Amino acid sequence: MDAEAMKMLGAGIAMGLGALGPGVGIGILGYGAMQALGRNPEARGPIMTNMILSMAFVEAIGIYCLIVAIILAML
Amino acid sequence: MPKLSKKSKIAIIIIGFILLVVIGGLFFPVPQPEVHLSANYGGEHSPEPFYKLGPIYITNTLIASWLSIILLIGFFYLATRKMKLVPKGLQNFAETIMEIFLNFVEGVAGRENGRRFFPIIATIFFYVLVNAWMGLLPFFNVIGEAHYGTSDTLFYKLFGMGQYSGPIIGLPLFRAANTDINVPLMLALVSFLSVEYWGITSLGMRHYASKFIRVGQLFHGFGQLIKGRVKEAIIAILFGIVDAFVGALELVSEFVRIISFTFRLFGNMTAGEILLLMMAFLVPWIIPVLFYGLETLIGFIQALIFAGLTLVFATVAVTAHQSEH
Repeated sequence: MDAEAMKMLGAGIAMGLGALGPGVGIGILGYGAMQALGRNPEARGPIMTNMILSMAFVEAIGIYCLIVAIILAML
Repeated sequence: MPKLSKKSKIAIIIIGFILLVVIGGLFFPVPQPEVHLSANYGGEHSPEPFYKLGPIYITNTLIASWLSIILLIGFFYLATRKMKLVPKGLQNFAETIMEIFLNFVEGVAGRENGRRFFPIIATIFFYVLVNAWMGLLPFFNVIGEAHYGTSDTLFYKLFGMGQYSGPIIGLPLFRAANTDINVPLMLALVSFLSVEYWGITSLGMRHYASKFIRVGQLFHGFGQLIKGRVKEAIIAILFGIVDAFVGALELVSEFVRIISFTFRLFGNMTAGEILLLMMAFLVPWIIPVLFYGLETLIGFIQALIFAGLTLVFATVAVTAHQSEH
């Protein structure tokens, strides 16, 4: 395999594996938020805000992987 | 016209959607997303700037960030020009958003510290927010230096005809400022420096530095060793080494924040631009509007996270930790 193909492969693997962790993380977050909502439906507002904030933090990890993938694919 | 059943209505909607995808995807060329990771302009992977003023490069993102600065200053100038005790109109709006944000800051940092942190935190928040939302306006990425060229559409690749030829924007005049890595880096540096400044001024240099340089216990252990108490000395030295290591780790994490701040904002905004282009490529009509809504939300959340994290770090930096014994 030549270097170019390896680079593209690396970018794809970086993005794919990098999306795995945040995906699981967001799933756990949604699970927790839904459970909290089921137990206490009045607290919808705070749960929603906190869930979205935490999701943004989890998402940032996936975004790091995206940057690595872009660097690999571009340079 | 016969009344349609629910099933056939859904079928019509699905067929229309597929038609949109097929027609749009076949005939409309979509530009490549612009991603510039290099912080240097004029380098290998970045476009030439519009105008060089000696060493200063005036780039499209710089113009966009100037625009956002003008917008913010203009808005708050107009809002505070004729201030009244009972606010009305624009003043009312400005006061409302400022009060909401002030309450948020004071809720996290406490009243006194909150007032001290507020100017920089609010500046970061509104700057990031306005830059993120301005990047969604339709004149971004559209006006600019064009060159005549041809672009492949999917239809051309499949059937060998119907190639798009016409003006292609090579260098847009406006590009969302957060998608230039220099802007998030600058904001991260500002956030880092102000957190350190607040920490040092409210705790004192000595106390603040003792968070990172923790060698007290190590010296205590050596003192015990000189006195001849070997057993206590070994324990104290072992714990001292761990303590010093923790301090060093905390010092490193202080600097790592710059990197994570930078790439969080840059990555989210760049990913947003790429997402919008991808959606425009897949379905050119109607559907991208939904993703514009998503990007509006993400811009707000990222601004809130940038400002909120700076606020939390500042609050941690100004609270006194337990001193060494």
